[in-house]
Amino acid sequence: MAFNITRRKFLQSASLAAVALPLSGALASESGITRSPLEPKGSLQDETVVGGVCEMCFWRCQLVGKTRGDRLVKLEGNPKSIDNGSAICARGNAGIQLLYDPDRLKYPLKNVGERGKPKWKRISWEEALDECGSKLKAVQDKYGPQGLCMFPHGSTAKYPMHFMERTLGTHNVSEASFFQCRGIRDMAYMATMGMPPGEFVDMPNAKVIFLLGGHFGENIHVSHIKQYIQGLQNGAKLIVVDPRYSASAAKSDIWVKIKPGTDTAFLLAIMNYLVSKNKYDAEFVEEYGQGFDEFKEGIKDWSLEKAAKECDIPAAQIKEVADMLAANAPNVSIHPGRHVSWYGNDFQRQRSLACLTGLLGAYFVKGGWVPGKEPKVGKTSWAKKEHDGEHNLNLNADEESIYPYSPPGTPTELIRDAALTGKPYPIKGCVIWGQNPIQTIPGQEKMKEVLQQMDFVMCVDVMPTDATMWADILLPEVSYLERHDLVKTGTQWNFADKHQQYITARMPLVAPMFERKDQVYITNEIARRMGYEKDIPVQTVEELVEKDLSVANLTLAQLKQEGGIHLREGKDPYQMPEDFEILFFNEDIADAGFPGVPTYIPVEQGPAGYARLLYGRVPVHTFNRTQNNIWLNKAMPDNPVWLNDQAAAKMGLKDGDVVGFINQDGIKSRTTTVVKTTPGIRADSVYMAHGYGSANPLMSVGVDAGVDDTSLITKITVDPETGAHGMRNNFVKLTRDGKIIDIPAAV
Amino acid sequence: MQYGMIIDLERCVGCHACTIACKAEWEVPVEFYRNWVFRMGPSLVGNEMTSTYYPGLCNHCTEPVCVPECPADPVDMTFTNFKTGETTTMEVAATWKDPFDGTVQIDKDRCIGCGACVDACPYNARYINPALVDDASEDGKADKCTYCKPRVEAGFDPACVQTCITNARIFGDLDDPNSEVAKYVTKGARGIEPKGGQLGPNSRYYGKKKDMTLLFNSHTPELADLAQVRRRAMLASMVKPAMKKIKNLGLLGIVGALMAKELLEQEDRNKAEPLS
Repeated sequence: MAFNITRRKFLQSASLAAVALPLSGALASESGITRSPLEPKGSLQDETVVGGVCEMCFWRCQLVGKTRGDRLVKLEGNPKSIDNGSAICARGNAGIQLLYDPDRLKYPLKNVGERGKPKWKRISWEEALDECGSKLKAVQDKYGPQGLCMFPHGSTAKYPMHFMERTLGTHNVSEASFFQCRGIRDMAYMATMGMPPGEFVDMPNAKVIFLLGGHFGENIHVSHIKQYIQGLQNGAKLIVVDPRYSASAAKSDIWVKIKPGTDTAFLLAIMNYLVSKNKYDAEFVEEYGQGFDEFKEGIKDWSLEKAAKECDIPAAQIKEVADMLAANAPNVSIHPGRHVSWYGNDFQRQRSLACLTGLLGAYFVKGGWVPGKEPKVGKTSWAKKEHDGEHNLNLNADEESIYPYSPPGTPTELIRDAALTGKPYPIKGCVIWGQNPIQTIPGQEKMKEVLQQMDFVMCVDVMPTDATMWADILLPEVSYLERHDLVKTGTQWNFADKHQQYITARMPLVAPMFERKDQVYITNEIARRMGYEKDIPVQTVEELVEKDLSVANLTLAQLKQEGGIHLREGKDPYQMPEDFEILFFNEDIADAGFPGVPTYIPVEQGPAGYARLLYGRVPVHTFNRTQNNIWLNKAMPDNPVWLNDQAAAKMGLKDGDVVGFINQDGIKSRTTTVVKTTPGIRADSVYMAHGYGSANPLMSVGVDAGVDDTSLITKITVDPETGAHGMRNNFVKLTRDGKIIDIPAAV
Repeated sequence: MQYGMIIDLERCVGCHACTIACKAEWEVPVEFYRNWVFRMGPSLVGNEMTSTYYPGLCNHCTEPVCVPECPADPVDMTFTNFKTGETTTMEVAATWKDPFDGTVQIDKDRCIGCGACVDACPYNARYINPALVDDASEDGKADKCTYCKPRVEAGFDPACVQTCITNARIFGDLDDPNSEVAKYVTKGARGIEPKGGQLGPNSRYYGKKKDMTLLFNSHTPELADLAQVRRRAMLASMVKPAMKKIKNLGLLGIVGALMAKELLEQEDRNKAEPLS
């Protein structure tokens, strides 16, 4: 039976029809107050269920659920939380629309059509798991474990990923969170001061907050935004460096309208100015710095004027920024950023940020970079086994790393190139778990070719996505509201408050519906079928969570009894760790053949008539994952393209005009969006929100909404130190009524 | 007592948590909203680049224009001050301004769904909720923000205030000089008064000068043409009971159908009439 789900059909099905009905009409009044049955009841009378941890994004706010009968009607922040408190964002609030989305995956499905043009047949779990186990085993037997690859994302993907990496022994795992997002940041800071930086800036207690590309307000992580706004309310100055007048720029004291790709030049000029004018923290550098002389020498050419020319901003503004930072050091938050896979010169920029923080003495001080001291919990998973480096694509014939600063896993491009060429070996089995490689990784057609040549592709997700269209077997996962899962730890959001730590574990707020299963069940059943029964570390996901909690002397029952969150006394986060050092010049980087002192590498400029395609976020969506959520879709149904108003006037375009895109490689957007003209963006760039323009017709709400920016990112750039992607090196023209419109370079 | 809400634009990041929490709390149909967030700019205010938000909701006006437009038959209604227990009785139609807390509320049972209040509100804060139907109205009922009256009376914050991630929404009694909301008013928080209107909006905004300028320039509404609102309301109040009567008497045979058709056409003609 071909299995096609439409919203209408779903609503007609009796089992869940109640979901679509207004609650107030369906339920008898219980409250003492006499109220019209036409009046919705509100959530006050509903039962509160504790232990929720949000996954509408990956910040993991703590939740409580409001339930009416067996139905979850509302999500709220857990009032016991010292992180997000009783607040959750739009996406968090819209979680129930994911939970009850009629388009959600419900049963194991087999693709009886083609990859990319699927026809789905409902099959039993037994059949689905047999097929996954036997097909993955067949690839493993024929090509070795290296013939398998995986694209994982999210907390449930960790367990199957470790099975692939540790038990089966393939290196070919590529996490989007590393190779298309924050991996470069983590590696650059580790190579500078020894730790991945997270977003650990003590903004509430800062005198200056410095954001390079960060666009809070468009990008929302609740406790982080609380920190940012508290800092501004406490009087912090805000510096925002962005080609666009972002939501953060709108709250800034200084907006640096920088030319895209030139950020490192800007940072080097600031640092050279601080050093040459003796405005840096010499004592701090003396105490913790290494290689400062080489650093000083290496950046000395970067005058304010040179950078001003390169970055297309006034020299006086660079000086103003530098002076503001120096005057308020060390209480300055130099934000490390999060998504930093921009131009393919990103490792050096992130190194620059880490060094600038050091020059200002802004590590482990009030307002500076300060990681909270979190409690320890377990990390139960598949046992690590010895696997040789023989089939590691990131090692060349001489056993040297091609990308020596690669984040954990294998750079995506190495996997894709091996798959397409069969060299050094074929890659013929693919597991996609919670990731959407079609709309995450640049080179969409290349990704499709990679998937097309596989012997077997399996996907696990909660929703249909553009990636699930490429599966042979598609498995429905329980959502974050229906499963046990991770253990989450942290501290109170503002270090000015009493020092506290918290431990929480994700617990289900409602029972799963249909035939959805969790990651431990799915992985274990496949492992059994591949002959790894004896390696299985836990039988259930609850067992995994209990093991992790036991390290902190906790149990799920105790957590539940304590309102879902365990609080304990915290530690002073400002204490400088022993052996802390900052490598201004890093000899190992130099030995590996890359600049050991932070260095600016110019990026390619676009051809005439094209503008650089920039992308970012909107507060109501987490990339593509939330596109089908009906509340969030209605809040921001498309992704208007920001176009400089003077350029727009020359092009004869006005607000609301419907346009498409064509990029430098002649690739056209499949869908259209509308123009937003504004003086708040440089004329050499256009901007749109990422994650729109889904093509999967099973997403009945989100399909064809707006334009998919990733589809236009066909020129692939790789950061040379890390192997992670740079995704802002593509250029577009607009199209309207079949005509191509040049974007004037200068206005 | 006059409840009011302050929205501090210096704190607001435009995240929409408030609008979605409201939808969940009050089962607001997907296509409608009791509160909203519009983004403005970036555009130039004078020489300054500016961008901010209009997080809007019912203003629970001191002199609401919506309340007098309700054509439903008035009844005596007894109100209780939930804090003191004091009561008072007054004659109200299906929507009124509460004599104790100053909020503007709707009696869904008696609302005939004519839409007069919806049309009268210059802020578009009301809508006809098509999911709410009964004998008095098959077309739905007027619906809007209640300042979360049931939650507030139970000692909780309004849902939008509770979920606000930056505490940009502050709720309280504007008449109490010690309340945080009153202090904001002293600092300069302002409501958006329609052109030529004196409604006294009690949802008020506070922010940087340029942001306030952009907000007020972009979203100061016009007052509705009340003559047109009234004509439509009058027709609806005639048509609706008539329709009901026809149905109740089981008269919807040929004669009834013709009567109903005529009445409806009359309404449509009036809707289509240009403004005088």
